[in-house]
Amino acid sequence: MGGATIVPAVETSFTVNGQTVHMALDPRESLLDVLRERLGLTGTKKGCDQGQCGACTVHLDGRRIVACLMPAVQANGRAVATIEGVASPDGVLHPLQEAFIEHDALQCGYCTPGQVMSGLACIAEGHVGSDAEIREYMSGNLCRCGAYAGIVAAVRQAGRSGI
Amino acid sequence: MTAAAARPRVDARAKVTGAARYGTDRTPEGLAYAAMAVATVGKGRVVEIDTAAAAAVAGVRLVLTRFEASELKPPVYIMAGGHAVQSLQPLLSDHIAYRGQPIALVVADTPVAATEAANRVCARYEAAPFALELDDEDAEKLRQPEALPVPALADIAVGDAEAVFAGSEVRVDEVYDHPKQAATPMELLGCVVEWRGDTVVVHEGTQNAGALRNGLALQLGIDPADVEVISPYLGGGFGQKNSLQPHLGPVALAARRLGRPVKFVMTRPQTFHQGSFRPASRHRVRLGADGNGRLTAAIYEVDQETSRHDLFPAMYTEAMSRLYGVPNFSGPTRLVRVDTQTPGYMRAPFESPASFAFESAVDELAYAVGRDPVALRLANDTGTDPITGQPFSSRHVAECLRRGAERFGWAARDPAPGSMRADDGSLIGWGVAIGAYPACVAPAIAHVRAGADGRVVVAVDGHEMGQGIRSAITFLVADDLGIAVDRVTVDIGDTRVAPQHLTAGSWGTASALPAVHAALRELRARLGVAETGMLDVGAAVAAAGQPTVEAEAATLGPGQPPEMLDRSRAGKVAFTGPVYPGFTSFSFVAHFVEVRIEATTRRVRVPRVVSVVDCGRVASAVTAASQVRGGVVWGLGAALREASEPERRYGGFFNATMEEYVISVNADIGEIEVDFIDEPDPLLNPVGVKGLGEVALVGVVPAVTNAVFHATGQRLRRVPITIADLL
Repeated sequence: MGGATIVPAVETSFTVNGQTVHMALDPRESLLDVLRERLGLTGTKKGCDQGQCGACTVHLDGRRIVACLMPAVQANGRAVATIEGVASPDGVLHPLQEAFIEHDALQCGYCTPGQVMSGLACIAEGHVGSDAEIREYMSGNLCRCGAYAGIVAAVRQAGRSGI
Repeated sequence: MTAAAARPRVDARAKVTGAARYGTDRTPEGLAYAAMAVATVGKGRVVEIDTAAAAAVAGVRLVLTRFEASELKPPVYIMAGGHAVQSLQPLLSDHIAYRGQPIALVVADTPVAATEAANRVCARYEAAPFALELDDEDAEKLRQPEALPVPALADIAVGDAEAVFAGSEVRVDEVYDHPKQAATPMELLGCVVEWRGDTVVVHEGTQNAGALRNGLALQLGIDPADVEVISPYLGGGFGQKNSLQPHLGPVALAARRLGRPVKFVMTRPQTFHQGSFRPASRHRVRLGADGNGRLTAAIYEVDQETSRHDLFPAMYTEAMSRLYGVPNFSGPTRLVRVDTQTPGYMRAPFESPASFAFESAVDELAYAVGRDPVALRLANDTGTDPITGQPFSSRHVAECLRRGAERFGWAARDPAPGSMRADDGSLIGWGVAIGAYPACVAPAIAHVRAGADGRVVVAVDGHEMGQGIRSAITFLVADDLGIAVDRVTVDIGDTRVAPQHLTAGSWGTASALPAVHAALRELRARLGVAETGMLDVGAAVAAAGQPTVEAEAATLGPGQPPEMLDRSRAGKVAFTGPVYPGFTSFSFVAHFVEVRIEATTRRVRVPRVVSVVDCGRVASAVTAASQVRGGVVWGLGAALREASEPERRYGGFFNATMEEYVISVNADIGEIEVDFIDEPDPLLNPVGVKGLGEVALVGVVPAVTNAVFHATGQRLRRVPITIADLL
C-alpha cells in the first residue's frame, strides 16, 4: 500500500437556492455530502450514494441530477436548487408540494424530497402527457414504501395546472 | 377534494419540504465521520490486518480493529431475550462468520477521508468453506421444536392430518420455493452518536429505541438512564431496523474515545451484507379435500434459513393454519443454518412467503376439483380458530372476498387457463388469494398534557416509519376531544418520553391507541369533565386553575400480566397475541390481480389490483389506504422481481446494490384499488383496531402467480417469476 494521497483543496463558488456559497473543497466530495454535511441542507437524502435511487435529486442550472454522483467542485459557477428552496420564503408551498399532500404521495418521506425535485423537472421537461409518461419519467426515483400511485397523481395534478 | 386534502397525513408538510429530520440528518458541532472496512471472505479468520495506510490518510483520527470484551460486551439476540439484531458482535475476535462482517472502524474529519481510509484497510484471511443455501452440504438442519423448545414455537398439530390426508378424496402435494429478499428501506442504516458528559445521545432511525437504549447500556456497562435514543422519523424500516445494530456500540465507543460526536452511514452494499434480510424458505404443502374442495387436512412443512450463530424462529404455520377451517393440520418446521448475518423480520416475514405456498396450493385444489377459486375459499371459511377452538374476535374475510370480487368484476372470468386475451394479443390472467396476519398487542405508556392554550401534547410508545402512526394518534386525540388536528402534538420514537417498545408486527397502532385512549379518559377525570364528548380544552384547564393538566395511562394486551410493562421498560420484546383468553385475533385481506403477458416478449405487467382489508376500525383513512397500496407494491415486487442472490464464490450476496436488487419502480405499478371493511373489532381493544401494515402484503404474491397460471396454464412454484419462466 502506498502512502495516503494529499488532495489539494479547490476554491469553489456556486449558488444554492439563490444564495452564493464559497468553499475550499476536496475534489472528491460529492455535492450531496457538501449540501448535507457542510451547508446543513439535510432535506436532500442519501439512499444509495451510487446514483441508483434518486433520493438525492437536486437541480443544477434547472436540470435534475443526482447529487451523490456530482463532485461538488463541478458545481462551480452554477446554480443548485434543493428541496429547501421549493416553498416560498414565507412558507407557502409550491403547487406540487400541495399536490403531494393532497394525494398522500408519500409514507416514510425519505424519498420525498427527491421525488418532488424530480417531479418539478418532469413537469418542466413536458413529460406529463399521460400517466404512462409520468410513470416512465418518475422511475429514476425509487420509493420503497410504494407511494407511486400518489406520486403520479400529484405530478399529473401539478403538471396540468400549468406551473 | 381528495380525502388526503380534507385530512392529510399530519407530518406530510414536514416531509414535502425536507424539514423532517431523520437519524443521520444531524450535524452537531465538531462532528467526525465513521466508515467500516468489511471481510471479503465468506467465512474464516483474520490472520493479519494492516491499518497503516488507513491511518496515514489525512484527516483520519481513529482506526479500530478490535475492542476488548470489557469495554464492549457481546449483545444478546432479540429473539433470545435480548436487544440485538444478532448475537455476533463484530470487532471482538478474529472470527469471520460471513462475508461483509466489519473488520475495522475508521473515524475521520470528513466522509471522504473516512471512506478512503476504510478502503485502505488491508486484511489477510484464512478462508473456510461456507454454506449459503438450504441445500448446501454444510447447511445444518434442525427441527425447530428441538432447537427452540418453547411452547410458542412448538409445531402446530390438531387432529390427525397425515391419516386424513392419506384418505382424502382429492389431494394436492407440491413444493414451493421463496428466495432471500432484502428489505432495502430508502434510509440507510446509520447513526449520529454524541456524548454529553456521561450521557450518550443516539440519533438513529429505529423501530425500537427502547432496545437501542437498554442494549447499548448493557454492551457499554453503563446505566440505561444515561442513554437517550431519539428517532422521530424512520426512512422506512420494514423490520430491518427492529433492534440494536452491531454498528452502534463501536461508534459510541469511538465517539467517547475521540471526544467528538460521530456520524456513521452504512454504504448501500454493506446494508445487504449486514442488515437483516428475509431468509430463503421452502414449503411443502399437502392439502386433502372432498370432491367439492372442502378442506379436510393440511400438512404444511417449512424449511427456513437461519444463521450459524442465532436461531431466527420460523412462524409460517401460525397464520396459514387459520386461513381456513381445516380440522386436521400439522406444520413441521425446520431451521437451516447458513453462513450469513442473522436473517430477520422483513414485512410479513413469514406470512407473505407462506401465503405464496399455501394460497398457490389452494388455487391448485380449486382447479383439481373444478371449482371457482373465490367460491372454494368462501366454502372453507370459518368463524372459529381451528387450532384453539376459540372464536375469532372478528373475521370478515368472506366479505373481503365478496366485495373484492364485485369491484374487480370477477364474475366475468372464464376459468379456463389461457382463455382470455386483450386486443393487442396479450394473455390476460385473473388471480385471487387471501391473507391473514396475527393481531398482536404490546404494552404502551401514554402521557397526555393539556394546556390552558388549548393545546394537547401526547407522548407514547411508537415509531413513525411511514405507516402513519403519528397521524392515527393525532386523529384519535382530535376526534375524542373535538379539537383541531393542529392543536395536537405527538412525541414518539423518543426514550425521553416513553419506554419505546419495538414497533413491528403491525401492533403499533393497536398498542399506542388504547394507551392514548386510556390517558384521555384519565385526563377528563382530572379535569372533572364528561368521559366523552367535545371539550373546550383551554377553558377546562383554566378552570382547573393550572397552566397545564397532565395524565398518564399504561395499557397491556388482553390477558397480559403487568410484568410485561417492566420487560418493555427494559427494552425487551413484550407483545402478546394472536391467541388471547377467550378469542383469537387476526387481520384479513383478499387480493384480486390482473396480469397481462405480452405475446412476444412474455413480459408480465400488472395493470390493476383490487384489495379489500379487514383490519378492524380504520384509524386513519388516508395513511391506511397508502399502507395497503404499499403492501401491494411490495407483493408485485416479490412475485416478479425481487431476489437476493447468494454469491457462491466469495460468500454473502451477489446483487448488493439498488440497481441489481430490483424493487418495483413507478413504471411497474398500475391501478391499485383499496377498500376496507372498517368494522371495529369488538374484543381486542376499546378503539376497535387490529393491525394493517403487514396483512396488506399477505396474499399478493399468490394472487399474481395464480393470475399467471390463469393466463398461461403454467403453475410456477418459485418466485420471482421472470420472462425466462414463461418463454
